[in-house]
Order: sequence, then structure tokens, then C-alpha cells
Amino acid sequence: MALIEVCNLTKVWRAGKLALDNVSFELRQGEILGLLGHNGAGKSTTLGIILGMISANAGDVLVNGHSVKTDRAQALSSIGAIYEAAHFYDYLTGWQNLRVLCSLSGWWNESEVKKMLKLVGLEQRAHHLTKTYSHGMRQRLALAQALLPRPKCLLLDEPTDGLDPEGIREFRELVLRLRAEFGMTILLNSHLLSEVEQMCDRCVILKLGRKMYEGVVPSQKKKHDVFQLLTRDVSKAREVIESVGGTFDPVSHLVVLPPQQPAYELLRLLIEKTVRVDSWTAHKPTLEEFYLGMTAA
Amino acid sequence: MTLFFQQWRSELLKLFVRRRTYIGFVAFLALEVVIWLLFKFLNGEKRLAWFISRQGQSFEKYDSALTLAFILIGLSVLLLGAIYVSLVGGDIVAKENEDGHYRLLLVRPVSRVRLLGIKYLSCTLYTIVLIQFITWTAFLLGLLLKGWGGGFFLFTLDPPLMEFFDWREGLYRFFLSTLLASCSMTVISSIAFFLSCFPIKPAAATIGALTYFLIDRVVRETGFMEGYDQFLLTKHISSWVLTLKANIPWPVILRSLTVIVAVNASLFILGASFFQTRDLKS
Repeated sequence: MALIEVCNLTKVWRAGKLALDNVSFELRQGEILGLLGHNGAGKSTTLGIILGMISANAGDVLVNGHSVKTDRAQALSSIGAIYEAAHFYDYLTGWQNLRVLCSLSGWWNESEVKKMLKLVGLEQRAHHLTKTYSHGMRQRLALAQALLPRPKCLLLDEPTDGLDPEGIREFRELVLRLRAEFGMTILLNSHLLSEVEQMCDRCVILKLGRKMYEGVVPSQKKKHDVFQLLTRDVSKAREVIESVGGTFDPVSHLVVLPPQQPAYELLRLLIEKTVRVDSWTAHKPTLEEFYLGMTAA
Repeated sequence: MTLFFQQWRSELLKLFVRRRTYIGFVAFLALEVVIWLLFKFLNGEKRLAWFISRQGQSFEKYDSALTLAFILIGLSVLLLGAIYVSLVGGDIVAKENEDGHYRLLLVRPVSRVRLLGIKYLSCTLYTIVLIQFITWTAFLLGLLLKGWGGGFFLFTLDPPLMEFFDWREGLYRFFLSTLLASCSMTVISSIAFFLSCFPIKPAAATIGALTYFLIDRVVRETGFMEGYDQFLLTKHISSWVLTLKANIPWPVILRSLTVIVAVNASLFILGASFFQTRDLKS
């Protein structure tokens, strides 16, 4: 079941720059979905539209069936988020910051807040001014605020940006724990491929505001979901594969099969359409291989 | 309603926990002391004595806490009032945007209009508290130096006015007028607040509000808008002085207060409408 449905989002900035072009995808209950793309691909814009921070020129986002455009408060009541860099009030303590933010959700429960601070490892520093916090501590506080009051879904916008390797690992483990313990649904916006590969079930790849791929993280695919096709009829092959819902990247030569499409049927179709198939081998690509192929296409 | 007050309390916590919020209070306190020192050592008292005796009144009676407090308030509000009030108004929306706080605040299920409403109320409250602080500290300084009792002599240029009151009536008029002054000054913070809703630097909103205030004042002084000065905000802002007239012209004061309330409401609605449509992204 889809918790968030992103429907045909289009965003054009005032200067005329196209940020998103008819992007649709869904975030299913209980999954971790990675939103991948280069800088400027439209990842943060997508997240901004989901959170009602940015208005779309066309399309809408439904959270639990509530439109962000027309019913924002209801839609966001089940979402916790870290959107772009978390800038806390430096002159307030971590505890006071949480109090200010939670008041906007109309919620405050001291024992629950203490529990969350313990979960993110900040219970000892909660009453210190946030200006004394390290970057990693700020990120953990950002996660704590996103978890209060306990949301069904967490949107994380490049949450490990600027963290050291230990910090990244800690953060990753914490997020995975949230899914395991609380069954949380998570949308992770990142350009760190290893992070997405290790954490996500599915991913969406954006390039220049267009969706290039939505599906299982390639490295987690079964060996027989991805094939390498060597052919000289590249454009014809691409046309045939895309006509049945699959994707073909002419640079990496990788073919991702559409759901419930046996490989032999697609191969037969290619041959029927007179595509010269030089080689057709099962392949298990890394996410990096897949991503670079997709974005170079 | 409880939720609204909870959220307002959080906004006030943010406002009053910051050290820079108190700069205005400290600056006014220092200014009052400086004005008093200048008044004392630059023969201000002698001139006042000469002036009062020319009106056939006794200087001893009117050399009181109220008379001194009124001089201190008049000069301090004239010199710094608009600056501090527009500083907070200009900061309250634009600074939060500049500091990136909206990325934390507006991902919460709260509407932008509600958030702005809370901010507007806070900056209005700050304006009233600041002017009342100036009033009370000036009065306390007056009491400290001149003691309780005496009369209340006042002299203003805008509008031209000179009155003598006894202590009881003086106390009533003094606090009534400063209460109205607090309310009138909210229009300056509203201009700053309105500008602050646009994607500009906080300092630009403050300077914009001050510029408007000064131009309005200059246009009024030049007499260019004579006969049409009801369109100038400074005319309505200075209506608080009318409560110091022997016979208070309530209809004129109420008209000015209505204009101020209407301008405040319009500026809030316009600012909030624009803010509602803004894309908030770094």
C-alpha cells in the first residue's frame, strides 16, 4: 500500500529552469526508498513539494490520501522530516528547540521526548545550548525532532551530509533500527550510492528533473532481473524494451526487465523485431554501475 | 485556542531568550540617563524654569517626576523608538528565513498564516512592552530624582501643545498617552513585518520601514500634503499626544486608532498572502 503518492509533479522555477518534469513515484508502507540523483536533479525540490515548502506548477502529492496542496496540515501530521540542513536556534538548548518545534505539532510529552533523546544518544546534552553541539549531534537532534511526535513516515534529505565515516555509520544503523523497531517508512534523499545500496529496498533515480528509474535497488535484484545486452541496434533495442515497460541503458548495456516479464520473452521479442543481439547475459550490477549508466544515458 | 497560546509561548520564548532582544531595552535606559544628564548640565532645568514662569506658573510645582519623565520619553522615542521597533519587525520573519529555521518549522503540520499570526502578535507585543518599558523607567527615574507629587507640565511640537495638570490628573494623562503611543507605534513594526515577508534581508526590511516612516514625516513637515495629511501615517501615530489636551478630542483619536488598526490588518494580510505563495528553499 502506498503511504505517499507523488503524482505527475512538474516544477519550473521563476527563471524558467525546469526542476521537475512530470515525476511520479510512490513510497510504500514499511519500505526504505532512496531518491537518487546528481546535484540539481530535483531531489530536494521533490522533497520540498512533498512537505509543502515548494509549490508545484502541476501535479500533487497524496499522503495517506490527503493532498499536500489542499490539506497540508492533515497530510503532514503523519510525517517527520529533516529537510536540507537542520538549522536549530543556537541560543536555545536542544530540549528547548524540541519544545518549540513540537508546539507546532500541538504535542508535548516529556517522557517520550526523553526516550527519543536517549535513542539518538543526546540525553546527556539535551540541556546544553545547541551552539555547543557538533555537526553530528545536530544531525542526531534533527532526527529526534523528526521522530516527535512519532510519525508513520520519515523523510530524510541528505541526512549524512558533512558527517565523518563513524557518524555516517551510526546514523545509518539508527535509521535501520527505526525501521526494524517501529516499522517506519522512510524516504531517503541522497547522492551517496553506498548509503542507498545498504539501506534502501527500492530507489528512484532522477536526472535533470526527470525520473529515469523506479524499482528495486539494482544490487538487490535477483540475478535474472538484469541482463547485459550487446547490440549494434541500440536505438531500436531501446524502443522495443521500453515499449514493454523495461529500461535499457545504452552506455552500460544493462536491461532491467519489467515486472513479471520473463527474460526469454523479451529476448524473443527483440529478435522478432530484427534487433541484432550479439550477446545476452544475466548480470548483477552494482548500484554505482547502474546509476552511472542511467544518468549518462 | 490552548494550542495557539502554546505556540505563541514558544515564539515568545524564542524572542525573549535572545540577548539581542534586550539591546533595545538597555539602549533606551542608557539614553534616558544621557538625556537627563544633558538636561541637567546644559541648563535644561533653567530654561524649563524660565519657560514655565513665563506662563505664570510656579516652576517648583511643575518641576516633577511626570514633567521630567515626559521630556525623557519624548526625546528617546523620537531618537530611537522607530529604529528598535522596526528592527524587531524586520527581523521576525526574514531573519528566520535567512537562518534556515523555516526548514524545521514548516515541515510541521502548521499553516504559514498561523505561524505568521503568532509572529505578528509577538512583534506587536514587543513594541508595546518596549514603549511601556521606556515609560515606566522614565517615570521611575523621575520619581527617584524629583520624588512623588507636584504638577505635570508638557510641551509638544507635533501637534503644538502646552498644558499644565495637577498630579492626579497628570498621572492619568501621562499613562493614558503612553499607552496610546505604544499602540500607535505598532504601525511601524507592521510595516517592517510586511516587508520582512518578502525574500529580502532582515536589515532591508528594517531600513525599508524606517525610510517609509521618515519620508512620511518629511512630506508632512513640508506641508506638501496639507489638507490631505490624513493619508500620512505619522499624523495618526502622533495622535496619542492629543490625550494630553485639556479637552481630549476622542473622535479624532478614535479615527486615528481605527486607521492604525486597519493599516496593521492590511499589512498583515498582504504580507501573509505573499508569504503563503513563497517557495522556501535554500
